[in-house]
Amino acid sequence: MAISIGIVGAGTMGAGIAHIAALNKFNVSLYDINEEVIRRSVEKINYEMKRSVDKNKISDDDMKMALTRIKKRTNINDLDTCDLIIEAVLEDIKVKRDLFKKLDQIAHHTTILATNTSSLSVTSIASATKHPGRVVGMHFFNPVHQMKLVEIVKGTLTSDETIRSATAIAEQLGKKTIQVKDTPGFVVNRVARPFYGEALKILGENVTSLEEIDRIVKKSGGFKMGPFELMDMIGNDVNFSVTESIYEQTFHEPRFRPSQIQQQMVEAGLFGKKSKKGFYNYEEK
Amino acid sequence: MKKQTKKEKPKSKKKALVRIDAASAPSVIDSVPAAAIVPAVESKTKPVKPERKLKATPPASKKEKTGKTDVKHLVCLLGDEQLVREYSTAFQEKGIAVQELKNLGSVKNSAKKITVAIELTIASTEQKRKNLQALDEALPANVPIVSNAVAETILSQSHHLKHLHRFVGIAAFPTLLANPLVELSPSLHTTKETADTVKALFESAKKETAMVQDSVGMVMPRILCQIINEALFTVQNDVASPKDIDEAMKHGTNYPHGPIAWGEQIGFSNVVAVLDALYLHYHEERYKVAPILRQLALAGIFWETKE
Repeated sequence: MAISIGIVGAGTMGAGIAHIAALNKFNVSLYDINEEVIRRSVEKINYEMKRSVDKNKISDDDMKMALTRIKKRTNINDLDTCDLIIEAVLEDIKVKRDLFKKLDQIAHHTTILATNTSSLSVTSIASATKHPGRVVGMHFFNPVHQMKLVEIVKGTLTSDETIRSATAIAEQLGKKTIQVKDTPGFVVNRVARPFYGEALKILGENVTSLEEIDRIVKKSGGFKMGPFELMDMIGNDVNFSVTESIYEQTFHEPRFRPSQIQQQMVEAGLFGKKSKKGFYNYEEK
Repeated sequence: MKKQTKKEKPKSKKKALVRIDAASAPSVIDSVPAAAIVPAVESKTKPVKPERKLKATPPASKKEKTGKTDVKHLVCLLGDEQLVREYSTAFQEKGIAVQELKNLGSVKNSAKKITVAIELTIASTEQKRKNLQALDEALPANVPIVSNAVAETILSQSHHLKHLHRFVGIAAFPTLLANPLVELSPSLHTTKETADTVKALFESAKKETAMVQDSVGMVMPRILCQIINEALFTVQNDVASPKDIDEAMKHGTNYPHGPIAWGEQIGFSNVVAVLDALYLHYHEERYKVAPILRQLALAGIFWETKE
């Protein structure tokens, strides 16, 4: 019988996970409180899959079958038959803890409960449940259908069996997995901190302009994007809050100190691409 | 956190919106100090005869073209072996003659033929100082001396020497020359003539240049060493295996190489040299070296990261 995956939160990440799960023949229950959010989410999945069809990455049939596997759910109790539930709601520890407490009550005792958090403590989320052994981090990257990695995060009390099952499912979703200990920023967000932080410090010292830093990083280092282009794309608000969260969780480790330049960008509403203005200007002329 | 898509390309017409005060490009002195002016530049007019240590002959000169790109260069290279090899290959592939200097005594013999000297030692060592002093004494005052400035500013390396106007810093760091851009840094004394000659040399070797302020680690080596250091702190804290960390950075955020394997290729001791220099310069804890990285630098080995 096909494994069924429940997804809580139909935002960008929830939709992305639903997309790849349905394509890889899992039954998907996509849950959100807001019916409209789910509708738009499924529309987006439809659009992205169509693009894959146009590029001959999947067939028309693959797409049709995948879309029939996604069930829209607005009652969280309908997730009770899922084998794995992946949470992808906003990055707020209280919201997540309350949700996991609820999921722990709804779900069958063999169900794995996973969080897609990028910067919160899996251990803390797990401790809201009575069965922390079945709670694990499954950190996907945006856009989910393109980025190959999933960080499988082991909380303090996560069982080995849970890790094995989560890893196996991520692999069936076509992803590469790495096993990570539950620590601030896990691996990718942590090791990537200096890419942004050091670039901001270099800018703050006027070593050269931000356009030049981007040019150097791409053309001397071989990176696909420069740090300022990338911060604009991620969103300076999101990027800043990840840095701040890691800084706070490490009790102010100086390597992770957030940048005043970026803080001001956030205060000014210069978030990047999504607000049309960031380090660069994206307004149409 | 949200990550970049592979296909996303920055808009070409975008303009920087936020700018920190002051000029972005470092200034170079416009006038040449009187003492430095040498009326006739011999090497520009006389053809360079291949000699014993010459590795390649320059291609037929493009007579239709005028200007600095016409110069038949003889580039003298010395310093860290790995970098000398990389630079030597890069120049020769583009038909630029190279002399690899094995001992300082021989610089005098070819002093009149050398058009640019490049000292590639990374760490700030006694040997580096000896090399720079010997070059400064032997070469005519109009010959630029480019020196690796990733672990010490070019001003700090050259301030005690005679012809300050001809020193330019370069961010020479193993593996980076595979890419199409070279970072240069003039000191407060560097003349425009010096900077222009060096820029033109790299352009004729098909490398773009970026001029940045004279600062420790310049741009790319500084960011890269901090990334490698964080990757090794992550190993130190037993968060994930070195191999997994490298996989994660390649597939979770599209880095061109895994940072640990990259550090190994660069040489962990070179990474430590830059980080120690940054620490010394800023006295900031953010530049402290992961203990395991320092051990690797001393041991010169690593495990299981080979791609």
